[in-house]
Amino acid sequence: MKILSRTGCGGGNLRELWRLRLHAPLWGVVKRMKTKSGGTINNSKLFVALTALLLASVCNRDGGFAATPPLSLREHAPRATSVVLATNSATFNNRQILSDFADKVVIPTFQTFTGKASALSTAINAFTQHPNRQTLQAARTAWVEARSPWEQSECFGFGPVKDGGFDGNLDTWPIDENDIKQILASGDKLTSSYVEGLRESDKGFHVIEYLLFGTSGSKQPSDFTSRELEFLKLLGANFAQTAGDMTDSWVKGTKDGNPAYREVIATAGVKDNTTYPTLRSAAQEMIGGMLDSLDEVANSKIAKPFDKKDPNLAESRFSFNTLNDLKSNIRGSQNVYLGHFQPANTNGLGLTTFVAKVDPNLDAKVKQQFQAALEALNKIPAPFEKSALVPQNASTIKAAEDAVNTLHDTLDKEVKPLIGGAS
Amino acid sequence: MQSLLSKFFRAKSFRFIVVFFLTLVAAIALSGSLSHAQLPQQIPQAGGETTIFDRTSHGLQQPAANLTAAELTLHQDGDSTFEAVFVSAPAPVHAGLGATFNNTSCTACHINDGRGLPVKGNLLVRVSMPVSHPIAASQPVAAGGSNKYTSSIFELAQGSRGCWGRSHRPLHQPCRSRLRRTLESQPQASVTLGNVPPVPGLGTQIQDQALFGHQPKATVEISWQETSGTYGDGTAYRLRSPRLKITLPEGKPLPPQVLTSPRVPPPITGRGLLEAIPEPTLLALADPQDKNQDGISGRPNYVWDVQKKAKVLGRFGLKANNPHLLQQNATAFINDMGVTNPLFPDKDGSSYIDIATLKAVTFYTQTVGVPARTLLDDPLVQHGEKLFSQANCAACHISQLRTGDHPLKAVAYQSIHPYTDLLLHDMGPGLADGRPDFEASETEWRTPPLWGLGLTKTILPSAGYLHDGRARTLEEAILWHGGEAESAKQAFRAWAKSDREALLRFLTSL
Repeated sequence: MKILSRTGCGGGNLRELWRLRLHAPLWGVVKRMKTKSGGTINNSKLFVALTALLLASVCNRDGGFAATPPLSLREHAPRATSVVLATNSATFNNRQILSDFADKVVIPTFQTFTGKASALSTAINAFTQHPNRQTLQAARTAWVEARSPWEQSECFGFGPVKDGGFDGNLDTWPIDENDIKQILASGDKLTSSYVEGLRESDKGFHVIEYLLFGTSGSKQPSDFTSRELEFLKLLGANFAQTAGDMTDSWVKGTKDGNPAYREVIATAGVKDNTTYPTLRSAAQEMIGGMLDSLDEVANSKIAKPFDKKDPNLAESRFSFNTLNDLKSNIRGSQNVYLGHFQPANTNGLGLTTFVAKVDPNLDAKVKQQFQAALEALNKIPAPFEKSALVPQNASTIKAAEDAVNTLHDTLDKEVKPLIGGAS
Repeated sequence: MQSLLSKFFRAKSFRFIVVFFLTLVAAIALSGSLSHAQLPQQIPQAGGETTIFDRTSHGLQQPAANLTAAELTLHQDGDSTFEAVFVSAPAPVHAGLGATFNNTSCTACHINDGRGLPVKGNLLVRVSMPVSHPIAASQPVAAGGSNKYTSSIFELAQGSRGCWGRSHRPLHQPCRSRLRRTLESQPQASVTLGNVPPVPGLGTQIQDQALFGHQPKATVEISWQETSGTYGDGTAYRLRSPRLKITLPEGKPLPPQVLTSPRVPPPITGRGLLEAIPEPTLLALADPQDKNQDGISGRPNYVWDVQKKAKVLGRFGLKANNPHLLQQNATAFINDMGVTNPLFPDKDGSSYIDIATLKAVTFYTQTVGVPARTLLDDPLVQHGEKLFSQANCAACHISQLRTGDHPLKAVAYQSIHPYTDLLLHDMGPGLADGRPDFEASETEWRTPPLWGLGLTKTILPSAGYLHDGRARTLEEAILWHGGEAESAKQAFRAWAKSDREALLRFLTSL
């Protein structure tokens, strides 16, 4: 038994073991025990067979425990089945869920975002050429539309998104208002390389937002100085370029030679993939990203402006778009769970496929809690920047915070252990 | 019926069945637990009871597993500050950046609490004057401001020497007042702890970013020089090392006598546990005279404690030049971000972050859990672990230590697997930065902990290893080892490819 206990069912070892006929010693052990006990164990073969059947059944081809033991086992060995379930060892083994995560969720989200980022740059150009109410409104709408896929991507802001500084260049919060005012007041020549060289707090989403929307919600086309328009145009172009580079890092690889991150995820557990040495570690990455984002929504993005009654702590306070940001964050995690990205009409296997197979009730609970979180957010009156300060809204806002935390805890305490391989 | 049953229960066959079944149950439970957090006692607890189970890009930034609810809240408060992006004052949130700095948040450098990259914003160049240089003794730090800076840096005033030497003795009174003057005279530039003679106008590190309208202290360009070598079996490898081009404002090069030490930010995981290792344990590991003649002679650094106003054992920083996390964090706030704090306040004693905030962020750095190892079933990993000991890597990268008393219960009295001795070792000329730091010599570095090492590229695909990120792979990192680690490196070079791969696989499992 020692060899079995050491190899377990992890990383394909058992399959290897079986292929090498290393189960033969098991028979030997039993035979020796049978001899020692004077041949009285007539039932031993039954149990050896049961053992073999059990292990063969629960350890599937990929080396993980199968999600559900076959029917025959459930009928004949209920005790053994309960052992399997009690140790909660239905480890993750579905490569398709990983490749679909990359192909049907991450890449379509980033590609949609890149398209919206280009559209934003184009709309800013149109506004700067002909500054009027319509063009300004179009640019503001384009900003809000770019925000949606970006916020949906926050739960997979790992790997190259961190590595390439994309996150910082696209979405640093807060911005450095003093710097921006001084840049605008200065005589510095504004060029694309000048903007590229700016600090993260001086460009990206929220600087564009600050300039497009103003600080009071009443900025008019006539309020924009020509230098502001010039700066905005360059910021928009820089933003679109960065978005494209980030998408490339998942699809094609990076400029400095890192492989497409899609491949890194999809080849988890394959030899030489030290980033994700097991399938389960990549699945855990999916969960970890969701947990990180949900935690941030509940305990930072909602809680801070709400607890301190300070709209300056709201994420998109210039555009009053914070509530939409929050909903997009939840939808992003929901996309990962369900394996789809509806705006691009992509559908694949999500974590739901695995969870539903092992524990259908849990799957239903997760889905319901995603809905509940979104509905709770829908009940908060927009804009959050104002409603967070109104005492009558306190219970509604607290309920939304709680709903997101509940979802977080279900994923953390129930789904994450189900995946296994957290060590 | 009853007698038949009792006969059956007494029968050897039944006992065998029971034994067999219990064994089976135990075996399955054990094999399940290897991949499962609910039965963690089967897995070596890398960080004792703080150990967390997460092998993802978030694996180095999880709260310790054994925090109380109140401690978890404080941890989260500290995390907010650790992640806060500071901006120039006045501002509604996170005011106090600069005027010169290296980056704007803790997490911008310690990405997901892991490493940073050798790029602008992450790459940090520490600087100092040679101890023997006259300016070292006379001119600790000039007041900030680029006008004065350019004149003072070339100013070679005369004065007494002796404040910056290596000595166990507390700084004597003239040096203490010099230190105080230093801190008081330039709250916005990088401060010195008395560890090195600061460079006039620069202090002890180059802040290469600035708020709009301010001049960065210098610009730093990095380029890489490649060399090649071969393993014992003839396999070729290539190594790279950095070359710095540092340009002062107005295009002047950094004077050649200034000592420079480029670094990438290290991971912060498990630092509370390292703080809780009893001093006698570390001193017992030291062997400065190499009395056991194993070629390894670790020794402690003794460093300045700003609050105690005394020299104490150093633990943190790549040359162990900070005694504890409160001071480590306070120096990082002032030097890396230009954010004044209670330990390094503004001239009038005020600071942008208060003591509660500094303590919360310190609490955060003390309570980040250590990830459990992975791939424990992998025969290659098991083989590599043996080789790690055989090659004597474990002589400095101590695999098991026990923490002692600590105000924070969660990190006290834990059995941990940090793979460090927190001591200084001569790593040879190849890795030498040529810049002494308190009692650390030009060639010495503190043994870095290796726990969590396998998550380096999961967090940051481009991340490198060693103090300046020069090693693109773990293999290159080993091949850079020299000095006291020369024989371990040579053992690795001589091994068959399969053994080298096993060692690397083991390191990936950490």
